[in-house]
Amino acid sequence: MTPILEAKNVSKSYGVYQALKNVSLKFFEGETISIVGPNGAGKTTFVNVLTGLLKPTEGDVDFCGKSIAGVGPVKLSQYGMARAFQLVQIFPLMTVQETIISAVISQTGSQYNFWSNAVAQKRLVDKAFEVARIFNLDKKMSWQASYLSQGEKKLLDIASAFALDPTVILLDEPTSGISTADKRGIMDTLMEAAKLSGIKTILLVEHDMELVAEYSTRIVALAEGKLLADLPPKEFFANAELEAQIIGKRVSHA
Amino acid sequence: MNARVKLTLLFCLGILCAAPYFLSPYHTTLLLPAIAYGIILLGFNLLFGYTGLLSFGHALFVAVGAYTVAILTSRLGIKNMEIIFLCAIGASIVVAVPVGLICVRYVRIFFGMLTLAFGMLFHSILFKFYDLSGGDSGIQVVRPFLFGQDLSSMDKTSFLIGPFFYYSIIILIILGALMWRIVHSPMGMHFRAIRDNSRKAEYLGIQVHRFRLIAFVISAIYGAIGGALLVIPVGLADPELAYWTHSGNIVFMTILGGFNNFFGPIVGAFAFIGLKDQLVGLTQYWRFALGIVLVMLVLLLPNGIMGLLQAKKRMASQEKAQ
Amino acid sequence: MTAFIDIILSGLFHAAVLFLLAGGLQLVFGVQKIVNLACGAFYALGAYFGITLVSLAIKFGMPAYSLILVLIIAGLLMGLVGPIIERLLRLVYDREEGFQLLLTFAIMLLLEDLIRMIWGATPMTLGNLSMTYGHLNFASTSIPMYKILVIGASVLLALGLGWMLQKTNFGRIVRATAENRRMSEAMGVNVVWINVAIFTLGTTLGTIGGALVVPTAAASLEMISEVVVEAFAVVVIGGLGSMRGALVGALIVGIMRAFAVSIYAEIDLLLIYLIVIGILIFKPAGLFGKAVES
Repeated sequence: MTPILEAKNVSKSYGVYQALKNVSLKFFEGETISIVGPNGAGKTTFVNVLTGLLKPTEGDVDFCGKSIAGVGPVKLSQYGMARAFQLVQIFPLMTVQETIISAVISQTGSQYNFWSNAVAQKRLVDKAFEVARIFNLDKKMSWQASYLSQGEKKLLDIASAFALDPTVILLDEPTSGISTADKRGIMDTLMEAAKLSGIKTILLVEHDMELVAEYSTRIVALAEGKLLADLPPKEFFANAELEAQIIGKRVSHA
Repeated sequence: MNARVKLTLLFCLGILCAAPYFLSPYHTTLLLPAIAYGIILLGFNLLFGYTGLLSFGHALFVAVGAYTVAILTSRLGIKNMEIIFLCAIGASIVVAVPVGLICVRYVRIFFGMLTLAFGMLFHSILFKFYDLSGGDSGIQVVRPFLFGQDLSSMDKTSFLIGPFFYYSIIILIILGALMWRIVHSPMGMHFRAIRDNSRKAEYLGIQVHRFRLIAFVISAIYGAIGGALLVIPVGLADPELAYWTHSGNIVFMTILGGFNNFFGPIVGAFAFIGLKDQLVGLTQYWRFALGIVLVMLVLLLPNGIMGLLQAKKRMASQEKAQ
Repeated sequence: MTAFIDIILSGLFHAAVLFLLAGGLQLVFGVQKIVNLACGAFYALGAYFGITLVSLAIKFGMPAYSLILVLIIAGLLMGLVGPIIERLLRLVYDREEGFQLLLTFAIMLLLEDLIRMIWGATPMTLGNLSMTYGHLNFASTSIPMYKILVIGASVLLALGLGWMLQKTNFGRIVRATAENRRMSEAMGVNVVWINVAIFTLGTTLGTIGGALVVPTAAASLEMISEVVVEAFAVVVIGGLGSMRGALVGALIVGIMRAFAVSIYAEIDLLLIYLIVIGILIFKPAGLFGKAVES
């Protein structure tokens, strides 16, 4: 089976400092992969290379067989991969509806249309509504994004990424800044949304190991720029030494 | 556009069209630069209010339009205004694309500095190359034909408060309607996304540089058309049109009217021309008075006249709700 | 050879004056992060007041060779408008750049008419007073001493500024605040006072520059908007916020203009703008400025 996303012998150096050392990974359809590791392990660099933001010093990144090394965010979304960030990114002066429509516009290629009323275009409006409903934002379509609660802003950010109809989505610490009580709710919404949107592969960068244990089908651990482990959750958490290296304590889970 | 806005708009247009009948010829001719600046500022605000780029060299394109009409009418004998507009559009595109390609890769202060530099470069060229541009005496503008009509037999005032007045209004309406469509279109939404968060816009598949360039070129076209209209009453295109303080005044006018509102720029144009006229009549230190106005705008009323009106409306509806 | 020395000297003189003006701009940008479009107005204030003070001094029978001192004093005195203007500018430190620029533009309008009110709209000159210092005969050419004195004064000021910024506590605090205002505040620096001091210093450099130029050029209202463009060219070439950049930028602009004027007068400013655009494209941070993101 061909991998949907593949990192091939990826290395990245900044001068003498090597952030990534020969990392090779294959990601397949249907997986939910968590990328974990201590701070400074090279997670951010790896993720930036994987999503075409950084060009690897050596090696390549393939998406459905095509190289996406260093293509940049715009091409990335055209290829079918979307990314949501840890720090909430919104369009403060645009409404929820307009934010999601912006994504749909690029996705449907209507960006050069300077004549029709964007919010009157049925195709755009319906699609935006669909996406908003999945994230429970449909009642707030006309709200200006800056007036939403922090959690809602996060959902809007992720919703707009979903509106690109990506095949693969990378979520950078999707529950950071969310209170512990709400974390699972958000994750459930995200997983449900992914299923409904037809997203084939989900990549998560997460620090919360309980969430990692509960929602991933596979855990990839990086440490000091190298691939430390690539295991399904059960085996990952069965290895006490591994856990200790990543988080320094044992996590109890069902 | 809701019914109330439509009504207000029609009302204002009605008053404007009736102006020659109840205003003195002097005051009617005063409305002409207001209309021209209305067009210029509509374009400027696409770049500033909607795409988030503050240009301190926009006067460059006003000068392009002005010199186009001057060169065509007095040196090449081409007098059809419609053809002149097409040439002005062409000239502004020819200048705006390379300048824009360079400038839109930068933001904020660097964008401002680059546009100011290009504006002054153009001013220098106009000022120094006498053979090309008439140097600091400028180039004369001969009365053009409007819709193919040769109106050179009319006396100046009748021409200005008659056919030319209504011609300008028609151009303003056409360009205003076009700008309305642009800002409400999918492309307009892209501009606003770029303004609000250009990094996120990229992740949503928006080609930031490309759309900034498009906004830049459209604003240049509006600037040139407005510039062409601006110099016809005066009869002269001169290099000072491209000077950086003219660009500064363009920004001033836009902020005065309100950059967060579609009609703000047009309101700003009329308000500024009217205000300046009153001040010039009152005191020789009218620049000082305008300076005070600008200080108050920046400190107290950053959303301009339209911002004030909208705030009042909001307060009124809040009171009603209580 | 004669022509060459003349050109170099004119260029250095021009550079000396430009350095003062641009240096002031850099200080203000470095600490307050504001591009002061009104700097030309301060320059003009220095010029006009310089003429007034010199005329007064002559009436009171001051000796001719005190000219340069009187001018410097005029510049210093005019610098006192600094704190007043800073009080106004303070209100927009936390606002967006566009509004900051607009406020400085407004200040320029206010000061221009103030000058018009006090001194009128016709340009003023000091006539031949610069000849007071006579000429220096050097390599078959005769150089006005005045220009050399101004260049010397500017060099002294540059050295003084450099010493202040690098070697004194005040200078260290200024540099720290320029780099990270919040951290400076957190460490107990009275940023308000630093802002007033630096703005006043920046203004004063500009007013001194304007005062020093009047024996050789007329004080006019056009100065206000014209000199901004040159100062801005210096600042871009040298790099926003860098004093070293102001020095090198001023030298480049001053000497290039002097050469251009003698070769083909039409292109002197044009050449400068092309260089500015070139720098903004290929090295937007200027020669000594900090890196820039787009």
